[in-house]
Amino acid sequence: MQDRADTRTETDGTPTAAGGAREARPAVRVQGLWKRFGDQVAVSGIDLELPAGKFVGLVGPNGAGKTTTLSMVTGLLRPDQGTIEVAGHDVWADPVEVKSRIGVLPEGLRLFERLSGRELLAYNGRLRGLPGDEVDKRATQLLDVLDLAGSQHKLVVDYSTGMRKKIGLAAALLHNPEVLFLDEPFEGVDPVSAQTIRGVLERYTRSGATVVFSSHVMELVESLCDWVAVMAAGRIKARGTLDEVRGDAPSLQSAFLELVGAGGRDAGDSLDWLGGAR
Amino acid sequence: MSVLDAPVSATAPVAPTTGLTPVFVRLKLALLRNGLRQSSGRRAAFIVSLVLTLLLAAGQVLGLVLLRGNEHAGTVVVLLTGVVALGWAVLPLFFPSGDDTLDPTRLVMLPLRPRPLIRALLVSSMIGIGPLFTLCLAVGSVLALAHGAAGVLFAVVAVPLTMLLCVALSRAVATANVRLLNSRKGRDLAVLSGLVIAVGIQFVNFGAQRLGQAGGLSTLDPVAAVVRWLPGASAVASVDAASDGAYAVAAAQLLISVAALVALMWMWQGSLVKLMTAPDGSTLAAAEPDRTGSGRRGLSALLPEGRTATVMQRSLRYVARDPKTKAAWVTALAVGAIVPLLNAVQGTGSVYFACFAAGMLGMQMYNQFGQDTSAFWMVALTISSPRDAYVELRARAYVLLLLTLPFTLVVCAVTAAVLGDWRSLPGALGLSFALLGSMLATGAVASALFPYSIPQEGAFKNVVPGQGGLAWISIFGGMVAAGLLASPVIAATVWMHLADHHDALWLMVPGGLVYGALVAWAGLRIAAPRTANRLPEILTAVSKG
Repeated sequence: MQDRADTRTETDGTPTAAGGAREARPAVRVQGLWKRFGDQVAVSGIDLELPAGKFVGLVGPNGAGKTTTLSMVTGLLRPDQGTIEVAGHDVWADPVEVKSRIGVLPEGLRLFERLSGRELLAYNGRLRGLPGDEVDKRATQLLDVLDLAGSQHKLVVDYSTGMRKKIGLAAALLHNPEVLFLDEPFEGVDPVSAQTIRGVLERYTRSGATVVFSSHVMELVESLCDWVAVMAAGRIKARGTLDEVRGDAPSLQSAFLELVGAGGRDAGDSLDWLGGAR
Repeated sequence: MSVLDAPVSATAPVAPTTGLTPVFVRLKLALLRNGLRQSSGRRAAFIVSLVLTLLLAAGQVLGLVLLRGNEHAGTVVVLLTGVVALGWAVLPLFFPSGDDTLDPTRLVMLPLRPRPLIRALLVSSMIGIGPLFTLCLAVGSVLALAHGAAGVLFAVVAVPLTMLLCVALSRAVATANVRLLNSRKGRDLAVLSGLVIAVGIQFVNFGAQRLGQAGGLSTLDPVAAVVRWLPGASAVASVDAASDGAYAVAAAQLLISVAALVALMWMWQGSLVKLMTAPDGSTLAAAEPDRTGSGRRGLSALLPEGRTATVMQRSLRYVARDPKTKAAWVTALAVGAIVPLLNAVQGTGSVYFACFAAGMLGMQMYNQFGQDTSAFWMVALTISSPRDAYVELRARAYVLLLLTLPFTLVVCAVTAAVLGDWRSLPGALGLSFALLGSMLATGAVASALFPYSIPQEGAFKNVVPGQGGLAWISIFGGMVAAGLLASPVIAATVWMHLADHHDALWLMVPGGLVYGALVAWAGLRIAAPRTANRLPEILTAVSKG
């Protein structure tokens, strides 16, 4: 709590929208963001403002550029072009302000797997400059809430996928960040762990913090998020509250399929033998 | 033709109409072909290794044919075959993923019976560069030994038998170890096996020098007399015995190989059935009750807070727990001690050889972030200024010094004691300190500018494909730079020896220490802002493993 309270007092001078109250400052503001890998354009000119204090979903099919975008927003990947502000501070010009305010759970990157779960939290918390006693207190609580207390002394290398996501989440939450970025936090996670993660995240956003997470599971996004940005082929196709993006469509799933241009694709009669006489 | 189009019988699973063996042979060929199609680099590597193998095999066949009639021919051929058979037995332990068809767990879901499966696996294993090499060797061996009709008769049986035995041995060992290799502890062991070889080479080298002095091949005769009766080499030995007219011995030796082949096939089948039907080790481990309890343990409670202690503790834990890091350290420690000490024992060395220890250990500073793998993101997210980067790098250098300084002292002192040359000890110490400081400095800068990924699997791969040049620049460029940086101290030491200022040599200890510390400090200062500015680039470079 304390970390966040500090940041609220020094928002003067940040370029908030004209006449906007402090709460109106977006959690993330992205302008003209580009990233190419060789000939492949992964992110092509994104402009996006993610509202603060909300559960924000970044949805899109595989290869839409979600991970690339989140990596650039969190400072783990250098954009070719464009500016990114998190909590009013430029990610690349002002890393001191940004890095202390964000928590990150990336996808596809390792953890320090030869540490036990508890050691990993202790390492991460102290590296972030938190006092040791405080780190240990928070780690104990997080391990309990995330149902990892029983395996806290096991090496992370021996953890299952769900346990890895949970310990990664604990490490991302340890310093009580203002904005939490989660890349596919539910991918490969069993339903029990998913429910645990969900509970923790809901509690965290209730305190006024922002969660930005990427997913391609629409049901999940629909049940969790207040605000959604739909991404496909490196561009933002739609953004807004859940209702705005859903529009007249019966579900987010069908609205999404329409937005990314995949609606109405039918299996046709090419598999007509399937399910026929055996 | 696709599986989906095939008619499905409503009553019972269809019995396979074609044999399993041709399917596996085709699979093996397809895997080989597709592997080559993947990249031109791989194709080039395959062609180069094929050509090298053929050249080596041709040379060996030629050598063996020339050996024909030599009194030691039997000894050489038997030992050579024995070594190749041993190689077949241990290779799958070191290269578990070398052959996709070698991993029976991939076949678990298919309705296969053990007997045809083993036959098919055995035949498909005969395809490849290794079997080709073995075939050349076996043919060359019998060419060197076979005399007369009986010899030829035994040779005709011995060649395929030796081949089958080698392949079956390899398969049986691999299958028996798949469970081990599929568990984390087993893979850790396999990674550590690399250092057994690295250290072993030093001793083999030492032994070969001894053998060269002791009187040549005749010293090997008693060894060969034993190896003749061991399966693997006994089939080839039977050709030798039959050519000499000792038919009973020849038959017995051939029978040993046949019996060994049968036993191996039986064992292989046993472990294959068990492997494909019993639950796997990781499942059993996961079902074990977890350890309980909490609270901080000894060491972590003692250390001060802040980045330095945190980073040091993590690095030290990795030296003890991460197989790749541990292997690098143990190899550096072992080779760093063996080279000066063995040379000293042989009376050929100098106390200055002990600087080798400092050099070997200083190399651990190179590619610091590559050692983190993609977990470096955790570090990157907490570095927001050059100051953070400086403290991070300094803490890693402290870990290195913590292990290296006492080790260097001991190696220098022991080398001096063995040689009885205490007078040069201060010079060697001073030089070691200066060299170590220079390696820390260049290592820190190279870590920032030329990071590369270290593959986590496998004992022998330390660079991922495509980053070899980067690793080369980092290590060799860095070493040359370190040599140049240390050159004032080297020059001063040489001058003191040449100008006969041996009394003043003790000055090199504080001199080297101060010089090394200054250079290391400057290197860290140069590396820190570059690290802080290049965090995303470093993360990308180290995430390829």
